[in-house]
Amino acid sequence: MNDDETGSEQLAPGGCAHGIDALSDYLDHDMQPADPTIDDSPECQRVLRSLRRVRSLAAPLLAADEAAVTTLDQDWIRGIMENIGREAKAGRDIPFAAADDSAALVITEGTVRGLVRGAGDRTPGILVGRCVLLGDVAVPGEPITLRVTVSIGWGRSVAEAVAQFREEVATSLRQHTDLVVAGLDIVIDDLHFDADEDDAEDDAETAEGTADHE
Amino acid sequence: MASTPARTPGGLLEQATDRTLVERCVDGDTRAFQVLITRYGRMMKAYAMRLTRSAADADDVVQEALISAWKRIDTLDDGSMVKSWLMRIVSRRAIDLMRQRKDTESTDDAIIEAPEHDGPERKAEASSQLGALSAALDRLPAGQQQAWVLREIGGYSYEEIAEQLGQTVASVRGSLARARATLVREMEGWR
Repeated sequence: MNDDETGSEQLAPGGCAHGIDALSDYLDHDMQPADPTIDDSPECQRVLRSLRRVRSLAAPLLAADEAAVTTLDQDWIRGIMENIGREAKAGRDIPFAAADDSAALVITEGTVRGLVRGAGDRTPGILVGRCVLLGDVAVPGEPITLRVTVSIGWGRSVAEAVAQFREEVATSLRQHTDLVVAGLDIVIDDLHFDADEDDAEDDAETAEGTADHE
Repeated sequence: MASTPARTPGGLLEQATDRTLVERCVDGDTRAFQVLITRYGRMMKAYAMRLTRSAADADDVVQEALISAWKRIDTLDDGSMVKSWLMRIVSRRAIDLMRQRKDTESTDDAIIEAPEHDGPERKAEASSQLGALSAALDRLPAGQQQAWVLREIGGYSYEEIAEQLGQTVASVRGSLARARATLVREMEGWR
């Protein structure tokens, strides 16, 4: 227990022999080890109760403050989005095999990741997280492996969703790239509530714009 | 709420977990970041307003915090911790701003002046226990309020608060003790 001079002794409140600082420490340590001079003093107990009550209001206060911030200004959000949009995370350049020597044609790793996310977005029950390209993508025709983490919607058939996702990825990469994909490793690392499920109660707000009433 | 929900046939990106959103951000998906802003931006602003006592400053602080978060989101090991990570960046930015102010202003009257966040929502809650706490906090000297908010809302240790405020631990203890004594006294009527 800390009993250094903090100038708070004069803050000893309401007949309690202990300073508010010492009482706060006692509270922080869950009243351990027990101090009878605090535990048996009705005055100190009263202060402890007040301290605990004020503390318990901290989280509700933030929640109420948050609720009072009714909306975020759209221009303000746009300003942030424009700023971060300049921070490209393009990754490596991936050349097209067909490109001749005089005019290079490349697609960025970041774009390929975007294609994989897009494939996930088209697959019910799949949300893509990370997508890592393993292998030397700079060498045209070199087989590479994709390692993708995905989140699965609650109640979805994993086998079906993953099979459809594999199809979507293969189609999309064939269409837009020359990549030779030797393997597509999928790691399911999360579950999410699926907007298409009608039992997802907390979707009510976000879904209302698109809901069609029967 | 963002202008248009990030609708995908497979579901709303809004439904993605924090971890998935963070993974997408690491890969450069700005849409996922916008969902994070929608999810936590208001809480970040509320926290920044408590620390800066100004809606305009809070906007600046949160904007800077978000831009900095985007740049180093790949340093976040556990995406499910993104909320507390963002809040941490907010408090650092807010305290930095307040300290700069203090350095550049000749008097600290401007720092202690009445906070401006007393909109209709605030008045409506004035009759409640929370409203009483809110008002009592607003009457505290800025340094005491910041110490209290960092401790009780931010969950920082005394040492971390001392480091952020550029004070000694003993001085933080003193501020917190005075803040608590005042709050306990002012909240007496709400027992």
